[in-house]
Amino acid sequence: MARIIYVGDGCTGCKTCSVACVHAHDRAFGLRATRIWVVKGEPLTDYPVVCHQCEKPPCRDACPVGAITKRDNGLVVVDERVCIGCGACVEACPFGVMGMHPTKRVAINCDLCGGAPACVKVCPPSVLKLQVSEAAAQEKRLEGE
Amino acid sequence: MPYPLGGYMGQILRVDLERKKALAESLPKELALNYLGGTGFAARILFDEIPSGLDPLAPENRLIFATGPLTGTLWPTAGRWAAYAKAPLTGIWGEAHCGGFFGPELKYAGYDMLILQGRAKGPVYLWIDDGTVEIRAAKDLLGRNTAETTDMIRERHGDREIEVACIGQAGERLVRFACIMNNYQDALGRTGLGAVMGSKNLKAVAVRGAKEVTVANDDKFMELVDDAHQRVLKQPQAQQMTKYGTPLLVAYKSKIGEFSTRNHQTGIFEGADKLNADTIRDKYYAKTRSCFVCAIQCKKMNRIQKGKYSGTISGGPEYESIYSLGSNCGIDDFGAVLKANQLCNLYGLDAISAGCVVAWLMECYNRGLITKKQCDGINLRWGNADALLALIERIAFREGIGDLLAQGSPHAARKLGKGTERYVMHVKGMEISGQDGRTHRSVALTHAISVRGADHLRSLVTVDQLGYEETAAKRYGKDKLPEICDPYSEKYKALVVKDAEDAFAIRDSLIVCWYSCGWPPIFWMPDFSAAAAAATGAQEFGKLKNMYRVAERICNLRRAFNVREGLGTKDDKLPDRFTREPMPGGPGKGQVANLDIMLKEYYQLRKWGADGKPTETVLSELGLADVAAELKRLRKL
Repeated sequence: MARIIYVGDGCTGCKTCSVACVHAHDRAFGLRATRIWVVKGEPLTDYPVVCHQCEKPPCRDACPVGAITKRDNGLVVVDERVCIGCGACVEACPFGVMGMHPTKRVAINCDLCGGAPACVKVCPPSVLKLQVSEAAAQEKRLEGE
Repeated sequence: MPYPLGGYMGQILRVDLERKKALAESLPKELALNYLGGTGFAARILFDEIPSGLDPLAPENRLIFATGPLTGTLWPTAGRWAAYAKAPLTGIWGEAHCGGFFGPELKYAGYDMLILQGRAKGPVYLWIDDGTVEIRAAKDLLGRNTAETTDMIRERHGDREIEVACIGQAGERLVRFACIMNNYQDALGRTGLGAVMGSKNLKAVAVRGAKEVTVANDDKFMELVDDAHQRVLKQPQAQQMTKYGTPLLVAYKSKIGEFSTRNHQTGIFEGADKLNADTIRDKYYAKTRSCFVCAIQCKKMNRIQKGKYSGTISGGPEYESIYSLGSNCGIDDFGAVLKANQLCNLYGLDAISAGCVVAWLMECYNRGLITKKQCDGINLRWGNADALLALIERIAFREGIGDLLAQGSPHAARKLGKGTERYVMHVKGMEISGQDGRTHRSVALTHAISVRGADHLRSLVTVDQLGYEETAAKRYGKDKLPEICDPYSEKYKALVVKDAEDAFAIRDSLIVCWYSCGWPPIFWMPDFSAAAAAATGAQEFGKLKNMYRVAERICNLRRAFNVREGLGTKDDKLPDRFTREPMPGGPGKGQVANLDIMLKEYYQLRKWGADGKPTETVLSELGLADVAAELKRLRKL
């Protein structure tokens, strides 16, 4: 399935994706409720990290109340009504991309904004893509062409 | 109850370091409506709370960290924030702006503004974690540079995303042009606000926030935001900025003879090609980084791979550092300039003043006004990069001659005497930035009238510097071409400087970046007005006339702050070099700045008296009758 993929190495660390993500979900501007993170290190490191929509999601397996499901359309979805906010999925995610909403206190992850991700739309250097892994791999294979 | 205006968090955090008290005050609605944010807020607070004649390093001085209603939103360049105090370098209005990520984080912690007062008994840092505010011991941070301080605080609290604003060794030692650093590379550079932090025994402010900023009219605001992002991304010069950053100016300025060289003796530098954007991109470029939510992305990281400075990786240098630490000292070795800039960032020194102080000393040395012995045995011939690096160390640690230089060049010249005063390039005590009023005429007026001293950023006009005819026609009328764009003519320059000063008072209150307003010329008052109205919901901001009124109120109040300190037209002047020494070469050969013509016109446009003071009528019309009364009480008006 298509998910958000970091293409190339041009992330500049501006966090526009994170703020747009929060706005898309909360209609407010912030960073803590983001579902896409930018890792920054000195002096030359910036890269985004976001839910991989895993085929066998460790977050789902870790959830003690069955709040997380892998849908037929491929999305890994948290049912906020069922979630008890225990953080087990946050700890279980191998990529560190399951978040905890600062005020709602429920687990949050990338939901692709229903198919038109806000982060992809705003990324100034255009290094985020909604893409299936195989397509990203094919693009890489063709780079030498 | 949520704050009645969008864009604001609605709270001011006031911390008294002496009494170890932190208090959240609500943001008065009339402050927001009359002064908008950032610079406007600070103008009102500093005028009200600082008594005239106060020593800037006294505990009673206020140090304000402020944001604006757009800070932390998705508006492109909304990561800006600023610091304000009575300035140690000049003894007048002090203001410095910064990108990075600290401003948004302060808002996410719930505060529009932080006001610091008093002096802690020992070294401390302030830790703001949403509603929790703690004054913590900082003994182990003392003596650490700004990068180490940032790392240590993040490590202590186990959170890499904490934003830190801190001082280095220079601020601890009260160097009069010490800066405050954020995010390793971003500086609140000018006027010495790092020394105010030092005087308060405040090593750092660390902040983390989980709150969110909401705007009044989200749909409308996002429509404006989307449009603004597209306008930036499509603007050809903004695209150039994204690729090269501010070093582009080296070539632009060389073209009109304004690449200030050897203490502003000339605007033509023979080594310009070694410091220009093409060379840097080709030989040293390592990576592009960015401030919070910015579509311009002008921040460049550079790396030296060969030679003496091999292994140096650092942000910048921006154009101003290339000028101050490079051409102005006659240095054309990019490695040395990058290294010097890195040292300024680590020690927490304003790179402009640091370079200018050295350039002044070099000129005095080369003219035989001071001896090698007086300079700790350092050979100060033009272009000696070793001398520059050695002096930066000495200034930051106040060793040898550095102790004198740490007071700023006007003070150092008064001490040294022997005609060295003549070569100090300053206005109101602040060293002049990298422009030249002889070959970029509007900047002669800008430097002379700027509220914080020889500063370009409060009213820099680019229509004449970079020849933006279309922009000039749109903003000021076709009938004013071609003179308005002529860098060697005084005509219309007072008009454009006054308009820029007004527009930038709003820019600095919203707060958004200079890049995308003046250069490249994308956003101006109509855009600010629309964004402010949508964000806050205050319809009066949506009317251009009202926005100009707010701008004039801010400009007059800042000016009144300086008038209260005794300033007037006698202080709105330039070093003789710009008004009496014709430009010796290049395309602007023979040019001088006729400042008096522009100054007179500028006072008239501001409706000020010939003494350069706002009149009682003007102040009253702007709702500043109390300010006029205070000035009269002190016999300053």
